[in-house]
Amino acid sequence: MKAIDYSPNPQRPQLARAIRRLERDVLRMGALVEQSFRLSHQALFARNLPAAEELPRLDKKIDRFYRQIESDCTAIMTLQAPTVQDLRCLSAFMQLVRDLERIGDYAEDLGEIAIKIFPYPPHTSLPEIEAMSLHAQAMLATSLKALGDFDEAGGRRLKHLDDTVDDAYDRVYETLAQQRDVPGVVEPIILLALVIRCLERMADHATNIGQRVAYIVTGQRS
Amino acid sequence: MLLLGFFLGLAVGIGFWVWQQVQLNRYLGRLLRPLTSHLYKMRLLLIPGLRQEIAMVKQQRQDLQQSLQTYQNLLDFAPVGYLQVDEENQLLWCNRQAQEILYLHWQPEQVRLLLELVRSYELDHLIEQTRDWQKPQTGEWVFHPSCEDAAEMPTIKSLALRASSLPLPNGQVGVFLENRQPLLDINQVRDRSFSDLAHELRTPLTSIRLVVETLQNRLEPPLNRWVNRLMQEVDRLINLVQSWLELTQMEANPNMQLQVKAVELRSLIASVWETLEPLAGRQHLSFSYSGPENLWIKADKARIYQVFLNLLDNSIKYSPPGTSIHVQAKILSTNNGGDAASQIIEINLIDSGVGFSEVDLPHVFERFYRGDKARSHSPQDGNSIGAIVGNGLGLAIVEQILIAHGGSIKAMNDPETGGAWMQLQFHEVMANSLSQDYS
Repeated sequence: MKAIDYSPNPQRPQLARAIRRLERDVLRMGALVEQSFRLSHQALFARNLPAAEELPRLDKKIDRFYRQIESDCTAIMTLQAPTVQDLRCLSAFMQLVRDLERIGDYAEDLGEIAIKIFPYPPHTSLPEIEAMSLHAQAMLATSLKALGDFDEAGGRRLKHLDDTVDDAYDRVYETLAQQRDVPGVVEPIILLALVIRCLERMADHATNIGQRVAYIVTGQRS
Repeated sequence: MLLLGFFLGLAVGIGFWVWQQVQLNRYLGRLLRPLTSHLYKMRLLLIPGLRQEIAMVKQQRQDLQQSLQTYQNLLDFAPVGYLQVDEENQLLWCNRQAQEILYLHWQPEQVRLLLELVRSYELDHLIEQTRDWQKPQTGEWVFHPSCEDAAEMPTIKSLALRASSLPLPNGQVGVFLENRQPLLDINQVRDRSFSDLAHELRTPLTSIRLVVETLQNRLEPPLNRWVNRLMQEVDRLINLVQSWLELTQMEANPNMQLQVKAVELRSLIASVWETLEPLAGRQHLSFSYSGPENLWIKADKARIYQVFLNLLDNSIKYSPPGTSIHVQAKILSTNNGGDAASQIIEINLIDSGVGFSEVDLPHVFERFYRGDKARSHSPQDGNSIGAIVGNGLGLAIVEQILIAHGGSIKAMNDPETGGAWMQLQFHEVMANSLSQDYS
C-alpha cells in the first residue's frame, strides 16, 4: 500500500502546521470513535454492561472533539487564506468529523439497546448480527487507516466492503420480519431490528469517510 | 628613487603581512584555547597544531557517533518497547519491541504522525500530558490492535500495556512500553487453579467435619480434647476455602447482587462491637465512637457488617491490652451542594496496636499478604468469633466489598497512636443532617 506523503503547503509552515494539528485531532477523535464502537460491541454481544455505561462519557468527549475541530477548520479558512488543495482538505475534514460523530452516536444507541435487551434470552440470529458488527468495525478501521495514509484506493475500497454489510442487513431483516409464533413479547425483535439498522448506518458513514479521503487526494467526487 | 620607493612599498607590504600573521595567530590561538587543555605549548606552530586539533575533533566525533550507534543498537534490542516523538507527535524512532507490541510498521525514512501508525488515544494522550506538564508520566491501559479484517478480528488479543514517558528537549517525548499481558495471564491462571482447588476441597472438608462432629459426641473427656482441636482446624480450613471462593466471585463480578437497603452505620458498628465484646473484654480493650448520631447509607447490610467485623477483629488482634479502639465518622460534602448525592461518609478506624510497617502498606489488601512474620498467626486458641479471621483474606474481602459499593479504603498508620488507621469512604449516602454532632 503506497502512502502519499501529503504536505499541505511547503511555503507556509504555519498553515501546514495548523493542518497537521487538525489531522491529528481528527485521528484522535477517530481512535475514540473506534473505542466506543468496540465498547458497544462488547455490551451487546458479551453482555458487558459496565461497557455500556461507559459509552455516554466517551460520547461527550467525541462531541467535544467534533465541535473543536469544526471551529478550528472555520478559523483556518477565514484567517489563513488556504490554497485550493488545503481548502479541499479542510472541507473534507469538516464533513468527515460529522460522519465520525454520527458513528459515535450510533455506538451510544447500541449501548442503550444492550441494556434494554439484557434480560431477554439471546436470539438465534445474534451470531450473524455479531459478524455484521465486526465487519462494520473493520470498515471503520479501514477508513481511518486510509485517512492516516491519505490512501485513495483504500478509501474507494470501502464501497465494496459496504455491500457485505448491506447484504447481511437484508438477510437479518428478513429473518426478523418473517418470524412467526413469537413466544412472549416482541421487544427483543424490535431491538434487534434497531441494532441492525444502527450497524448498517455506521457502515454507511464509514464508507462516506473513505469517499472523503479519496476526495482530499484526487479532488474528485465519485 | 625608484629603488627607495620599491623598498618602501616592500616594507609596508611586509609590515601588513606581519601584522596579519600576528592577527591570525592570535585569532587561532583564541580559537584553539577552548579545545586544548595544554596551554600555549606550540605558540609558533599554530597551523600544525590546528591540523592536529581538527584531526582530534574528527576522531572524537567518530567515537561519539559510534557510541551513539551502540546505544541505539542496545535500545533497539531492549526487551521493553521504546519510541520517541517530536513536538508534533510525529514518530522519530522506535525500537523492535515497540513495533511488535503496537503492531506498527515503521520505515525510518518516513516521518509520520504517531496516530497515523497506531490509533491509540491513550498513548497520544499520555504523550500530550507529558509535554504539557514537563514531567515523567506513567499510564496503564488495554490496547486493542486495529484490524481491518472482520474474520480475523475475534482472534486478535488485546494487550494490557504500561507506558512510562519522559519529556525530552525541543518538545520531544520518549515513551517506554511494557507488555503486561503475560503477567496478567499468569495471575489469572494462578487464581483460577487455586479456585478450582478450593472448589474440590469443599466437599471432602464438609464430610470430615461431619465425621468429627459425630466423634465429638461419642468420646469421653480425656480423648475429646484432640477432637475439639481437630474441629477448630477443620472449621478454619472450611472458612478459608469459603472466603476464597467468595472473594473470587466478588472479583469476577464486581457489581455482584447486593441487597441494597438503607443501613444505619452507627448502630451497625455498635452491633459488630457487641459481637466482638467477649474477645475485646479479655484484653481489656475499650471502644469509642465520635461523629454524627445517624449515618444512613445505601448498602448491603450483611456485607458491610462483614467489613466492620473483619476490621475490628484485626484491630483487636493487634492491640496491646488496656488500649482503646477509636471509630470516628465524618460527613464530607464534595461540592457546595448540600444534597445527599454530593456527600461522602468517611469513617476512620484507629487502634493503638503495632500498625503496619512502611514496606507492607502498599500490599495489605493483597490476598494472603502477611507483612511482619511476627504478626502471622499462631494456632488460634479458639478465640476467634465470626467467619473470616486470620486467614489472610480478611482485608482483601473488605476491599472487594467496598469496591462493589462504590466506596474505597485506605490503610495508614496513625501518627499519634502509631497503630493502624483504616480510612473508609462511602459514596452512596442518604440524607443525613449535618447538624447533629454528639461527639
